[in-house]
Amino acid sequence: MTDALTAAGLHTFYGKSHILHGVSLNVAEGMITTLLGRNGAGKTTTLRSLVGLTPAREGRIVTFGQDTTRWPPFRIAALGVGYVPEGRRIFPNLTVEENLKVPNGRAGDWSIERIYALFPRLAERKSNRGRQLSGGEQEMLAIARALLLNPRLLILDEPSQGLAPRVVQEVFAIVARMRAEGISVLLVEQNVRQSLAVADHAFVLDDGMVVWSGPAVELAADETRVRTLTGATAEDWEGAAPRVLPAG
Amino acid sequence: MTQLLLFNVTNGLIIGAFYVLMALGLSLIINLSGVINFAHGGFLVIGGYLAYALTPALGFWGALLVAPLLTAVIGLVVERLLIRRLYGRDPLYSLLLTFGLAFMIEDGTRFIWGAQGLPVTVPDFLNQPLSASLFFITGYRLFMVAVVAVAVAALFLLLRYTRVGIRIRAGTLDLETVSTLGVNVGRLRSLNFAAGIFLAGLSGVLAGGQLGLDPTMGAGLLMPSFIAIIVGGVGSLPGTLVGGLLIGVAAGVTAVFFPSASDAVMYVLMAVVLLLRPRGLMGEEGLMT
Ligand SMILES: Nc1ncnc2c1ncn2[C@@H]1O[C@H](COP(=O)(O)OP(=O)(O)O)[C@@H](O)[C@H]1O
Ligand SMILES: [Mg+2]
Repeated sequence: MTDALTAAGLHTFYGKSHILHGVSLNVAEGMITTLLGRNGAGKTTTLRSLVGLTPAREGRIVTFGQDTTRWPPFRIAALGVGYVPEGRRIFPNLTVEENLKVPNGRAGDWSIERIYALFPRLAERKSNRGRQLSGGEQEMLAIARALLLNPRLLILDEPSQGLAPRVVQEVFAIVARMRAEGISVLLVEQNVRQSLAVADHAFVLDDGMVVWSGPAVELAADETRVRTLTGATAEDWEGAAPRVLPAG
Repeated sequence: MTQLLLFNVTNGLIIGAFYVLMALGLSLIINLSGVINFAHGGFLVIGGYLAYALTPALGFWGALLVAPLLTAVIGLVVERLLIRRLYGRDPLYSLLLTFGLAFMIEDGTRFIWGAQGLPVTVPDFLNQPLSASLFFITGYRLFMVAVVAVAVAALFLLLRYTRVGIRIRAGTLDLETVSTLGVNVGRLRSLNFAAGIFLAGLSGVLAGGQLGLDPTMGAGLLMPSFIAIIVGGVGSLPGTLVGGLLIGVAAGVTAVFFPSASDAVMYVLMAVVLLLRPRGLMGEEGLMT
């Protein structure tokens, strides 16, 4: 099986702080891969390195067969990488429709009409400004915006954060649907159980290092580890298991 | 008295229209790139002198269009070579660089065209007064206001309805996210800078036709344009529009009653607005950006 994306030995810094200490992970084509870990583990930083916002200082990223390690974000997006950032980052001053006109993607099937068919709520609110939307609507808009790039790989950073349970279900349904569309997915989530239920592969990050990787079902079956991930304090994690385990 | 007041209000509106044109260009650049362009008045001068040089060949109408376009091209080159290095840096660097650039442009103009004033020749029919009682409103003054109105309307329509315009507005709040959506933000900033400089060049042509040209003419418009931005609210283009007209008219009206205070009134206005609304009249609530 080929990879949509392979990252090897990423070292990423914010100024002088060394955040990622050799992160390696891969997203298999057509699969959902989830990246888990407690707050501050470096998940967002990993994604930012992958999409070119905070380039890794060392290591190598191959996206759809191209070495994209030093590429600017817009070129990575043009390869077909959609990014749904943490906190959604929709444009509050623009209307829903205008938000959907910002993406400059490769050619493909996704159009604003198709987006409105998939998210009728966005069609209803197309003249409203981003700041007037509910959290759930903002998340839909952020996903829709990324889809308009006609992505082959969709990278989502905590899409269910702060949403009502019913809306969380919707978000996970969309993620599953993307996979059915043939889009590879890299999903960062705090919602551990649900992510593992939908994902094929899982990586666990702690202190800027991958401490576990393997099939999602295997991690889901390990109740102690799942509880540690959901409980989410550093001491819990360190008490629960050896820090580095072989990949599954 | 009424006529004097009318004269000065008209005057104020015309001056305000210049402030608006200058301030909108400055605002575009500040909003998207965070660069405070002290050389903006220099680009106005370049526009004016280019119009002077082009009028013999192209006539006034040709120069009116081509001179601002050429000014924008010069702006594009300056952006690629110099301004681009300022992005993401402390604003102090942009102050130093653009301040130096302003002096270079002023001296360069003086070197090429001399220090004495030069005229931009305007078609005769534009110089006729409207009527005997409204002798102070020449066709040219109305024409200037009309050109400014068209330019401002075009800018707002472009920002509202074109993809590039929408991306510029998105970028003023979150350029990083715009870049992850496949937009080459380096190019977006260049284009936006050139658009701002086009407006400066246009101001230069219009000002040249009314007041004639001299190498220092841009400097006097710069400070009021900054004040227009602050009064209107940084980040809001409609605010800049309102701010420019407001301080223009305020200066005009004050000229009737306290001629000596007409320059100071814009500072007073700024102080009052900032006391009542620290973000300016339309700061944060702006309709466009
Ligand atoms: N812009 C930044 N500058 C400096 N340090 C940062 C910045 N963003 C995040 N960090 C630090 O990097 C570490 C990893 O953060 P992050 O990648 O956001 O973690 P996660 O997404 O897993 O919660 C944290 O210790 C955080 O404090
Ligand atoms: Mg995060």
